[in-house]
Amino acid sequence: MSADQEKLITELVEKGLAGDMDPINAIEDRVLRSKAKAALAKAKRAAKTATTAAPTEEKPATETIAETPPSDNPNKKFGKMIEDTFQGSLDAELNDTHIQLKPDNWFEIAKWLKSEPSLYFDSLQCHTGMDVGENMLEARYNLHSMTHDHKIEIRIAVSRDKANIPSIEQIWRIGDWFERETYDMFGIFFDGHRDHRRMLLPEDWEGYPLRKDYEVQETYHGIAIPKVKVGWE
Amino acid sequence: MGVIHGEEMVLNIGPQHPSTHGVLRLKVKTDGEIISEITPVIGYLHRCFEKHCENMTYDQVIPYTDRCDYLAAMANNFGYVVAVEELMELKVPEKVEYIRVIMAELQRIASHLLALGVYGLDIGAFTPFLFMLRDRERILDMFEMTCGARLLYNYMWVGGVSHDLPKGFVETAFQFLDYFEPQIEEYNNLLTYNKIFIERTADIGVLPADVAISYGVSGPNLRASGVKWDLRKNDTYSIYDKFEFDVCIGDGGQGTLGDCWDRYYVRMLEVKESVKILRQALAQMPKDGDVHQALPKKIRPPKGSIYSRTETPRGDLGFYIESDGSPIPTRVKMRSPAFTSLSVLGELAGGWMMSDVISILGSLDIVLGEIDR
Amino acid sequence: MTVDTLFSWLGGLIPAMEGSGTLLVIAILIPCLVLFLVVAVNAIVMVYAERKVAAFMQDRVGPMGQGVGLHAGKWGFLQTVADALKLLTKEDIIPEKADRFLFILAPFVIFIGAFVTIIAVPFGETIIVADFNIGILYILAMGSLGVIGIILAGWSSNNKWSLYGGMRSAAQIVSYEIPAGLSIIVIIMLTETLSMQGIIEYQAGGIGNWIIFANPFTFIAFFIFFISVLAETNRTPFDIPEAESELVGGFHTEYSGMRWSFFFLSEYANMLVVSAVAATGFFGGWHSPISGYFDSNGWGVFWMLSKIVSLIFVMMWFRWTFPRLRVDQLMNICWKVFLPISLINIFGVGIWTLFFG
Repeated sequence: MSADQEKLITELVEKGLAGDMDPINAIEDRVLRSKAKAALAKAKRAAKTATTAAPTEEKPATETIAETPPSDNPNKKFGKMIEDTFQGSLDAELNDTHIQLKPDNWFEIAKWLKSEPSLYFDSLQCHTGMDVGENMLEARYNLHSMTHDHKIEIRIAVSRDKANIPSIEQIWRIGDWFERETYDMFGIFFDGHRDHRRMLLPEDWEGYPLRKDYEVQETYHGIAIPKVKVGWE
Repeated sequence: MGVIHGEEMVLNIGPQHPSTHGVLRLKVKTDGEIISEITPVIGYLHRCFEKHCENMTYDQVIPYTDRCDYLAAMANNFGYVVAVEELMELKVPEKVEYIRVIMAELQRIASHLLALGVYGLDIGAFTPFLFMLRDRERILDMFEMTCGARLLYNYMWVGGVSHDLPKGFVETAFQFLDYFEPQIEEYNNLLTYNKIFIERTADIGVLPADVAISYGVSGPNLRASGVKWDLRKNDTYSIYDKFEFDVCIGDGGQGTLGDCWDRYYVRMLEVKESVKILRQALAQMPKDGDVHQALPKKIRPPKGSIYSRTETPRGDLGFYIESDGSPIPTRVKMRSPAFTSLSVLGELAGGWMMSDVISILGSLDIVLGEIDR
Repeated sequence: MTVDTLFSWLGGLIPAMEGSGTLLVIAILIPCLVLFLVVAVNAIVMVYAERKVAAFMQDRVGPMGQGVGLHAGKWGFLQTVADALKLLTKEDIIPEKADRFLFILAPFVIFIGAFVTIIAVPFGETIIVADFNIGILYILAMGSLGVIGIILAGWSSNNKWSLYGGMRSAAQIVSYEIPAGLSIIVIIMLTETLSMQGIIEYQAGGIGNWIIFANPFTFIAFFIFFISVLAETNRTPFDIPEAESELVGGFHTEYSGMRWSFFFLSEYANMLVVSAVAATGFFGGWHSPISGYFDSNGWGVFWMLSKIVSLIFVMMWFRWTFPRLRVDQLMNICWKVFLPISLINIFGVGIWTLFFG
């Protein structure tokens, strides 16, 4: 990135922080515009943590819990509760959007999430698979509580070669079909699933379509599969 | 009843069958007339919607969402567009919000009319089906007047709608509502309180509330089991908080709470509530405003993900969208309400007879396009 | 006229063969041919009527046309003729694993069951093919032959669904014979004769003398009889054997072309016969409602036909209004509701006649 462009981006970021998005939107070059926007987002985040970090500097940091004020964000709040109850299960830092967990004792955590009275996540709203690149696959669970009306998102990342996650279909019964579909599309194996087979594709299909490196098979039962037209987007 | 077991017969209902609501295959194990186990097999209508989304821009996805639940296409559009706008933090003008609500509620009436009519047809009552379809035609005429399409509209775009309401739409809509409200009474006389219909649907396929929640059932199916959960009130999106309407729940009017009759009746009540909302929306809608005003030149949501839900005629439609800052989404997952409704069939249908399975399947109101995507 | 009168008339016509066997056979064949025509015309007219009645009840027009040769004839009159031609030219498909002989036999057995009963139906004062002195019993008995045909059809198709349909239908028809028969007993108790013409003579004298208005028990007996015969002819709300949305086609799934149309021919013939029995037993047959007026032979035919047609119209009306009953609910109604009521009716009529004469 040239020095000119860097200077332009700093200017645009300043204008953006002041609330003026037009200069950024008016840039013709797609790459430059996206870089400017990314830089702006980063600056905004930095500004936010600066303001939240400022008041706590006055207090001596005696306990680690009081470093940041107790968060209202459910992902952070419940992520903390999960970490307190099941040590070592978090796979990444707490943040606003999701809770990253390790796959190891997911079944116990799920059972606890459903039965713990203050949480009572009785509804598994959505279960997605995701190919996050870098040889990792993720399973994402959107949980919701009908009684308390709070929701969280849990993500579990596993490597492509050993994509095993404990199945939670006995806890939330819709997990049965959701997990079968994720297995069908991504190839994530759910240990303990009582009826582990493909959902939408035929039983003898090869490959997992929604992975980014998926190659369509040549023939299926002798019928040639037409190729996707090149450059159609 | 004495235990005389004949041999167990494994039957196949579908994929081609008049009353499986699409290409659905049901593997049924029966002992005489009583069903012991039922397994739905789906995937016959899988069209790789989610894989397609990873190759198209955000606005090119909208016609594809139409074709998922083809009987309530406006609702699918609405769900997707609300999700993308939430991700982009885009506000739409008030007129667009009103138009969207009007279209969504008209679609709700049309979809429920079809669901109820087809349910009557499955049970054997031919005439209510034709009456309801006749009224649905008038709604489809209104849609055609607006955007040119009767079934698959591509109407709601990110930031606005594709066409403004034509001249005379509001008058036509009011005329329709005035004509339609007494018709609901006629349907109740003809089908809802018909003794034979009640015998075929009451006390059959009872879905307890906790099982429903565990299976992720939502929409009228969940409300018929007594759970007061409607996304338009509990998790309000768009401008639904401006309208006064009740959330209709089942009350075990003819038989047990959560049976097929309740699911049928909740849909009938919802049609009445939609008429209420429509009257308010049509009256309050601002007369002028440009519907294309807030359409973004290029839809590039910031990096991030979102899970957002809307209330379609079949339940909670959820879109999980992950974006990496480019105009093409990384992942669009459509969490369809009919998928979860169908999953509970295995639980509901054990121990009933063949005719009851048809009855239960009809009351769940599934559309295979949505399940298979 | 009956076979006897025809026989003697022909004998008078051809003195050479008077009293011979061949003349008897001819005397039998002629009315049967006429009846066959009656059944065929009945089917054509009723199919058309059913479609038009259905259409008008459902807020649409049904089969329409512009004139002979254009589409389906004016108002669609030629629709059934077109359908019949189409069915005749259809490919005759017999499933490979089906029991061939039974498969071909089944429609004929059903048709025989329906056709044989028509000979005892009185259309006018002297217009009846065979005036048995056990007329009504004969009709009830022969009407049950159809069950065999249905079971044969279901079984020989070698198809699980057809089998289901055949079994259900057999159970239904056999069960509903009983309330129907018991309701007929109510009539017989009053008229003290089994002959069809005898029953009609009992009701001579205008509408007040009709059995349906004789006492409240006969009134109820009519409704029991009517609903039971709906079940016997497999009409909605009892058309589970033909339930399209559940079993595709029930016992006639595997039939195509003319064989399939035989089932429906028989159904309409059955409807004609049971309406005629109801008209005879409860509504005074060919008597006019105002005694003394419109009372000749020709008018008799008119009154009988109009009563039959109204009852058939009510049957069609039911079909397009009501959903269908599940098979166990159907049986429930028969054995737990209709049977006790029919028995009470019999007692009631007996006691009424005892006290009120």
